[in-house]
Amino acid sequence: MAAYHVVLVHFPIALWLASALLIFLRVVNDGPVGQAADRALPVFLVLGFVLGAVAWLIGTQVWDWPALSGTPMGRNHMLTATWSLAYFTLLMITRLMQGDALWHGMARWVMLVLSGVGVVLVGVTGTLGGHLVGNYTQVGEVLRLLGWEIYTTYYVPNITVALLIGLGLVMAVLGVLARRPASN
Amino acid sequence: MKRMVLPIASVLFVGGLLTSWVSHGTGIVVDDPERNISIPDTHTVPLQVQAAYNNTTMFMRYRWPAERPGIFHDVLVYEDGEWVRHGRGMPGSNPEGFHEDRVAMMLDDGSVPEFSRYGGYITIGAGLAGLTDEAPEEVTKYLPATRNSLGQWDDMAPEDVQARLRAAGYFLDLWHWRGGRSNALGYADDQNVGDHRAGDGGRGTYSTNWDGDLSQPRVMFNPEVAGYRALNWDDIMAGNISQDQVYALTPQASVPFDPDANWQNGDVIPRRMLRLPEGSRGDITTADGVGTWADGYWDVTLSRALDTGAPEDDKILEDLGMYDVAIAIHRNATGGRWHYVSLPQTLGLGREADIEAVRFTGRQPQWGDNWTDVTLFYPGQVTWPFLNSRAHAGAEYIDEGVPVAFRHTPEQLSNYGIEVEFMSEIKRQWLLTMLAGVVLIAGFGVALNRAVSSTKGA
Repeated sequence: MAAYHVVLVHFPIALWLASALLIFLRVVNDGPVGQAADRALPVFLVLGFVLGAVAWLIGTQVWDWPALSGTPMGRNHMLTATWSLAYFTLLMITRLMQGDALWHGMARWVMLVLSGVGVVLVGVTGTLGGHLVGNYTQVGEVLRLLGWEIYTTYYVPNITVALLIGLGLVMAVLGVLARRPASN
Repeated sequence: MKRMVLPIASVLFVGGLLTSWVSHGTGIVVDDPERNISIPDTHTVPLQVQAAYNNTTMFMRYRWPAERPGIFHDVLVYEDGEWVRHGRGMPGSNPEGFHEDRVAMMLDDGSVPEFSRYGGYITIGAGLAGLTDEAPEEVTKYLPATRNSLGQWDDMAPEDVQARLRAAGYFLDLWHWRGGRSNALGYADDQNVGDHRAGDGGRGTYSTNWDGDLSQPRVMFNPEVAGYRALNWDDIMAGNISQDQVYALTPQASVPFDPDANWQNGDVIPRRMLRLPEGSRGDITTADGVGTWADGYWDVTLSRALDTGAPEDDKILEDLGMYDVAIAIHRNATGGRWHYVSLPQTLGLGREADIEAVRFTGRQPQWGDNWTDVTLFYPGQVTWPFLNSRAHAGAEYIDEGVPVAFRHTPEQLSNYGIEVEFMSEIKRQWLLTMLAGVVLIAGFGVALNRAVSSTKGA
């Protein structure tokens, strides 16, 4: 499965990077170029999601679960791949649900930042995947300088796990409250 | 309020990401003596090596940093009328600073083919002493083919098979210099690894200085040679005892113990008596004096006959021969598996290799500055059965004979080795982290979409 995974991941990587570029164009340009980018964006995001999900699934079959979950590099690759998929799924859903309203006010900048974070995550995921198949880059050195030794598993302590989940729930509640009609 | 949802959610989201980044990698890797876990602060140590040989003798010189010289293994301390042992082996460093420093080199001539590719990893079988899942009896290093099945430390191959393996050269020579138990005599311990780690034929350089029947040491320092009957605890703790004075119970420096001497609290006598080795076990000497510690470094040179005449104890070395070695050190009062090890290195006698032994004439080599730098690393708990199991993604590469150095660096292996010690805890935490990240992303997604939706038609 490794070879299929390596071939497949190029599609979501390309589609997600292109999506980020389209988001950038739409954020900085309200004219025809930005409008065109916005019209193309859903196609890229949906295709990226579908092929990303397939690549993710096939990636889980490259090694047996004990091996994939038993090595720091395998764990890290799967973690960043999962988060990458989650990020761009969020972008896809948001674009499909909100349409043009997305590009007004603060939301447009949020989209820009989200897509930027997503690009970084996809880049890290690809880098780790390269390490797994023996193609090393200096990106690992950059991450090391930033505080993460990539040959150790990225995990957070229980208190941070609780905090992240709590923040997620708080944000969801905030969102629900935002949608609730104002009472008289 | 509605207008504030997205800014607030954005701050919370970014705050979550930053908290994750700052706190990652904490909370799990901690010492746990109950499970034989103690992680050293330093994961790698630089080692320098030189090698030379003449017509008859092989010389190996090692140099490595050590904060203090570990010249005591364990000691007996006089405490209120009793002699109390200090310096037992334990996970990690002995807090009192006992347990001798060591350098050990496993050597093979190609008879153990996996050794050239995986070095000492092949000797770490299941159940070894010091592992979290150590066997109920003491199991030391052994080679895979000495067991009928991988992962079964007690499933020994039949004795006749063991004998034939040994005759075929299926063992590793082990040069084992001991800072406390051999150095003062000018020797290293000549050992080997086959079905277990064993001394070569003959007798070693030390025995235990304890008379169980009388509950007292057997010998003490000879006052006429040392100037004292015993060392002083405070001096040892302060690091005031050096190699420049008598510190070991060599035959010349010891006399039978005198129970009627005016013993004082804090008197210290080494728990090991040194003696001249005999037979094949005494083949390795410390060339040009003894190994010395100075300015934060050990400098140890060992020598051994190229041909010891004991081909089932030692690997016989020849001019222009190519061999494999793996080197390890103990420092900071550690024993057992709490050492730093090297990946396998080639040793060429007059041939290009990782470590190239230079041929010379005369009795002693003239060492220059042609050091070979070797990175030693703390190996954690990575066993040969694990490496060949489904839990190791590289097992198929081992099956194909791909050398460890092709895919791994010492730094990488040290990190991997430590994570193996906390495998289940890290795996659980990794899954929780992955889930928490997804929840964070999803939560922000809800906030973002609801916030944007609330502005429609406004």
